[in-house]
Amino acid sequence: MSMGMHTIDTRDGGANARVQMTLPSSLRGTSAPVRQFATAQAAGPVLDVRHVEKVYGSRNNVTRALADVSFSVMRGEFVGIMGASGSGKSTLLNCVSTIDAVTSGSVSINGVDVTGMKPAKLTRFRREQLGFIFQDSNLLDTLTARENIALPLTISRVPARETLVRVEAVASRLAITEVLDKYPYQMSGGQQQRVAAARALVTNPAVIMADEPTGALDSKNARLLLECLETMNRTYQATVLMVTHDSFAASYTNRVLFIRDGRIFTELRRGGTPRQEFFNSIMEVVAMMGGEGSDAL
Amino acid sequence: MLCKLAWGNVRRAGRDYLVYLLTLTLAVTVFYAFNTISFQVDIAGVSEQNAGMGEALGGIISGLTVFLAIVMGFLMVYANNFIMKRRKKEFGLYQVLGMSRGQVARIMTLETLFVSLAALVLGLVMGLALSQLMVFFTASIFKTQIANFRFFVSPSALVMTVGCLVAIFIVTLVFNLRVVRRARIIDLMSAGRTNETIKTRNPWVSAVIFLVGLAAIVAAYVRLLHDGLPYDGAPEGMRAFGITTLIVVVGTILFFFGLSGFLLKALQGVRGLYWRGLNMVTLRQLAAKVNTVSLSMAVIAMILFLAITSVTTGMSLADTMNNSVERGTPVDYTTSVTYYSQPLVDEWNADPTITGGEGGVTFAATDEPVDVMELSSHQTLNPDTPEAEPFDLSSITGSYVQVDVYDSTPRGAARPLVTLQDLCDAVDMPLPAGTESSDVESLGLQVVRESNYNDYLAFRGMEQVDLGDDGYTLLSDMGETVNVIYNAVLSEGVELNMGGHILHPVQDRVNEDASVFVNSMMGMNSGTIVLPDALVDALALPPYTSYLLVNYADDIDGQQADAYIDTPRRYGDVVADGSDAIVGGWGVEATRTTTYESTDSMNGLISYLAIYIGFVLVVACAAILTIQQLSGVADASANYRILSELGCDRAQIAHSVLAQQTVFFVLPLAMGIAHSICALSVIIKLVALFGGFTIGGTVGLVTLIFLIAYGGYFCVTYLMGKGILRDATRARHAA
Repeated sequence: MSMGMHTIDTRDGGANARVQMTLPSSLRGTSAPVRQFATAQAAGPVLDVRHVEKVYGSRNNVTRALADVSFSVMRGEFVGIMGASGSGKSTLLNCVSTIDAVTSGSVSINGVDVTGMKPAKLTRFRREQLGFIFQDSNLLDTLTARENIALPLTISRVPARETLVRVEAVASRLAITEVLDKYPYQMSGGQQQRVAAARALVTNPAVIMADEPTGALDSKNARLLLECLETMNRTYQATVLMVTHDSFAASYTNRVLFIRDGRIFTELRRGGTPRQEFFNSIMEVVAMMGGEGSDAL
Repeated sequence: MLCKLAWGNVRRAGRDYLVYLLTLTLAVTVFYAFNTISFQVDIAGVSEQNAGMGEALGGIISGLTVFLAIVMGFLMVYANNFIMKRRKKEFGLYQVLGMSRGQVARIMTLETLFVSLAALVLGLVMGLALSQLMVFFTASIFKTQIANFRFFVSPSALVMTVGCLVAIFIVTLVFNLRVVRRARIIDLMSAGRTNETIKTRNPWVSAVIFLVGLAAIVAAYVRLLHDGLPYDGAPEGMRAFGITTLIVVVGTILFFFGLSGFLLKALQGVRGLYWRGLNMVTLRQLAAKVNTVSLSMAVIAMILFLAITSVTTGMSLADTMNNSVERGTPVDYTTSVTYYSQPLVDEWNADPTITGGEGGVTFAATDEPVDVMELSSHQTLNPDTPEAEPFDLSSITGSYVQVDVYDSTPRGAARPLVTLQDLCDAVDMPLPAGTESSDVESLGLQVVRESNYNDYLAFRGMEQVDLGDDGYTLLSDMGETVNVIYNAVLSEGVELNMGGHILHPVQDRVNEDASVFVNSMMGMNSGTIVLPDALVDALALPPYTSYLLVNYADDIDGQQADAYIDTPRRYGDVVADGSDAIVGGWGVEATRTTTYESTDSMNGLISYLAIYIGFVLVVACAAILTIQQLSGVADASANYRILSELGCDRAQIAHSVLAQQTVFFVLPLAMGIAHSICALSVIIKLVALFGGFTIGGTVGLVTLIFLIAYGGYFCVTYLMGKGILRDATRARHAA
């Protein structure tokens, strides 16, 4: 491990993997961004976040939601962002997903810097490059599942024939074909979330942003959705960035970034470890973060 | 504290309250401005030419205001319900925080009070301004000069307006308090800002409903065009009309009920269109509102129909009078004497309460018409004053003619020699619309002697007619509806049998200009037959009316002559030569000037009422639509936010919202116009009885004003909807 790599690798950790921690303070003043080991997928990072800072409020009442956050995500990765309430994880996702503007720093998606983009161009960019899944499924209540999934395509003026074919394909892949002609209120929460996932996937975006997607689901439906995300990641090589405070949800990812007080506290890689072990590792970090919470800053 | 909370609420819920405020303000403005009519009539100088006009109009308008206030009251309750529905949660929260229902009710009362007061102040300021401006409008529709313009405040209008507003306030309040009293906290708290579950109807069912509605409307149109209006009030006619009305009402409701489903189904059939951009979102949003909005759309379509029809009919009637007054006013002054018939005379003479008993008057039926010019000299100017003097009509007269019209029922006979019904039968045509019920069947045409008619024609400077021994011709100035029959009779050469004499027409069409015997804004001569003198003598017809037509002497100033006529005057008894028995009564007299003035006044009256009613109804409809649409946008704002997050730009969403609003604003209007066209085409036939009926002129201007009002609401709706949209799509919910 070189300077600036604050990575906990559990790949060779095995049973006695003692999680190595680098305190966040050592990150301060480091010029190099958090870098990944070159992964099998190669190519450049699909998402590159550098020194992002987000400040809310006016001169007298400043809240620093994000402070010098840097990381990158490779194509086909399934990355989790974990942190407690108020840690800044949702702010981070909003900044990364261009819904919120950063105060300083840069966010590049597919090599394009989105921080300086004009709103109109951003809208188009978001439409073409990003997919979203939210805690509340955010389906249009007046549309059927089929129409909801088709929506991003019709907005982009994809021809009707192609739209319908693609919707069918995604739906059958995510096992929601039987609800295609139902309205959201006729579906279970889990079905709604899977429809939302299908909607995020149907445009074949560079990155799918999932904000607490399992937050409103019971454990069975949460597992179904996570498996669904896993499928998307594996079979479609979809790049997924998922914000969650649930360790179980996080254990489905390839890599977890831990956020605390607006900073990346540490990072955990799954490597080839079984999900249960990865889950245990995540729990350890969460426990440690919780224990140190009071004297962190 | 409660006051502060209420004030804060009004300011925060400003957007919801804005439409409410706007509509109430407009109502106050219009109420006040129109209720100042009696003042305006004064200032505009209408009273000078038509004394009772101000009071008459004022009375009608204040009665109407009460009616319109009731309509407005219900509208306000409706508007308020929308606001309340969206704020249930808030009121629940107050109660959860420990406020009593009484306190919550007080907050609401204060809120309503603030808004009403604001509307009152704003409305009165605007009403004051508008009423000053309206003086010019009044002067123009009454065709008068503004004598001395001054700023005025009408206390009675003020009282009227405040009274109506208080009534509206109380009604609104009662409904609001009921919402609070009835609601349970759990319901209040769980009432989200969005719609309840979206009920979707099977589009196929909707499409069928739509088509049934459309068919019903078409059927009602066909029925109305076929049956016409039941102007006579005959039971069968009324029943048929009632059924037609019911069909069209039900049809309209079904039409709007199934509309969105039909559109959905129809457009889903066109794949490329449906699955494109936000089209499906637009359609689905429309379909989702079908339950809440379709009924009010139907009601609005009907109200707009009423407004359009009444305004158009009223204004056109006014236009018609304007057009016919010129032909109907051939001379400077006309007066008339109507003779009593023998049955009437017998009845009156037998009744001491009419004759005055012993030493009273007696009545008689005369055989010969009286000399009206001579008789008029028995009238007294300025009676019972020192300036009393005999009325000397001849002193201002240049030329004159007397036309004596006879009843076509000979003395002692039971039925007239010729009736309109007879003529209709002769040419195989139905009675004109609007006359079937009256007693035309038994009422005969009037008769005039050939020589007398030729005197009249000479006086008018027109060509003489020559009937020969067995000729006749027909006269009427009532317009096409009746004259189409008379013209057919004349041109087909219908032979008439008058007491054994066979007569042939000598003209082939009615000369309407040569049929006017009295100054009038509309046709008064419903049918007169000109017969050879000898025949009239032989038939022993009783005199019916004598008309005196006078042109002022050239050396007399017209205004002076008019003033002479207008001087207070006592009419003497109509007596035959050398007898004290009263043989008839003085009829209406009219100078050219008074006829024109009363036409203008009538015009003004009708225009005024039409505009007033129409404007308030249109504003009410537009306000309902605005409130519905805005709350619709607010309810759907979550959906619009999702769209924005999916990368849909705001312009696209705004476009979808605009499309929805257009459907909701344009369709009821289109439906109202369609109903109106159908109804008007029937009404035209009826009104045409009073002379040619045209839609145009002022109607165009009024339509423009209404379109501006309606369109104004549409624009307000769009802009405010965009504002809601901007807020909804600005940023995601607090992260």
